[in-house]
Amino acid sequence: MEDTSVVQLHQNKPEDECPNLSLRPLDVSDIDAFMVWATDEKVARFCTWEPYTNKEDGLSFIKNTVLPHPWLQAICVDDRPIGAISVTSNSGNDKCRGELGYVLASKYWGRGIATRAVGMVVETIFDEWPHLERLEALVDVENLGSQRVLEKAGFQREGVLRKYVVLKGRSRDRVMFSLLSTDHRPT
Amino acid sequence: MEIELSKISLRPFKLEDADDFFLFAGDDQFTMNLRWKTLTSKQEALDHIKDVCIPHPWRRSICIDDRSIGFVSIFPFSGEEDKFKANFGIGVAVKYWGHGIATRAARMAVSQFFVDFPEVVRLEAFVDVENLGSQRVVEKAGFQKEGVLRKYAYVKGKLRDLVLYSFLSTDFHAAQAEAD
Repeated sequence: MEDTSVVQLHQNKPEDECPNLSLRPLDVSDIDAFMVWATDEKVARFCTWEPYTNKEDGLSFIKNTVLPHPWLQAICVDDRPIGAISVTSNSGNDKCRGELGYVLASKYWGRGIATRAVGMVVETIFDEWPHLERLEALVDVENLGSQRVLEKAGFQREGVLRKYVVLKGRSRDRVMFSLLSTDHRPT
Repeated sequence: MEIELSKISLRPFKLEDADDFFLFAGDDQFTMNLRWKTLTSKQEALDHIKDVCIPHPWRRSICIDDRSIGFVSIFPFSGEEDKFKANFGIGVAVKYWGHGIATRAARMAVSQFFVDFPEVVRLEAFVDVENLGSQRVVEKAGFQKEGVLRKYAYVKGKLRDLVLYSFLSTDFHAAQAEAD
């Protein structure tokens, strides 16, 4: 399950506040930057994980989940990681489908960064993965900021999936969004 | 053909159902929207019952007068994160379509399932957008339509739009409370 943690409270800041946005692989050497968002309970609020409390757990996560991940990149400003964005892959009858998730340090919320990062992934993922037909994202019903990110990035809202996940002991409804390779580049 | 729906029952599959199983599962129309391949022999039917139906966590034969005319399957997901969810599937012999049998069987199955698996909170059914008959079955059985998931998965090599339906344990308990 990928997480979409961004809650954007202010919509109107100009994009050129953060001109040097890039995506690159995340590594163990990025641990300090990682801990900035991983320890933040605002960021963790709609995610499956609890805020991290020590570096060892952070390093384990990077080694065991980030490094082997089929597609996970750090979202960087001036080459410093301020979040991460990822796409899962599936096999067999489900290989047409990938799930998008992203996290962003809360200090960078409200500037359109997540929307731009999602846009950057959308530009390349269908070419990198020709078998991918459908990019989907599941967002908590209360996470309005993340819903707006996906809408602005061109995703279609397909419906509310009731009690789709159990998050921190409680059932949560999730909104399903999707972007098809044909939405992105009509054939 | 008049069918008395009170004659519909659900029970586990038996090896003795192989002939009847082959009768319905040997039909392309029956397996069209399922991931199963159409069975081509009674041996295959016997193997399917032995290897799939009997070990299944919850699969029942839909019977008329104890003769098997279809199946209903509910498959709880595995893993700590997902065991509160399960997937619903159903199929009735083509010759028995149009009598409300699948709807009756679906209702019976859902009621029994939530008793047998009290930890399941969410039952899901995925139905092809073009399969209007099955959409009506699950709707009349009380599933709620949540949305159309575009190009969600391959079924028999074809990329499909699937309608997602859900039936929650809370829906079930609310209906029970109303009935009491």
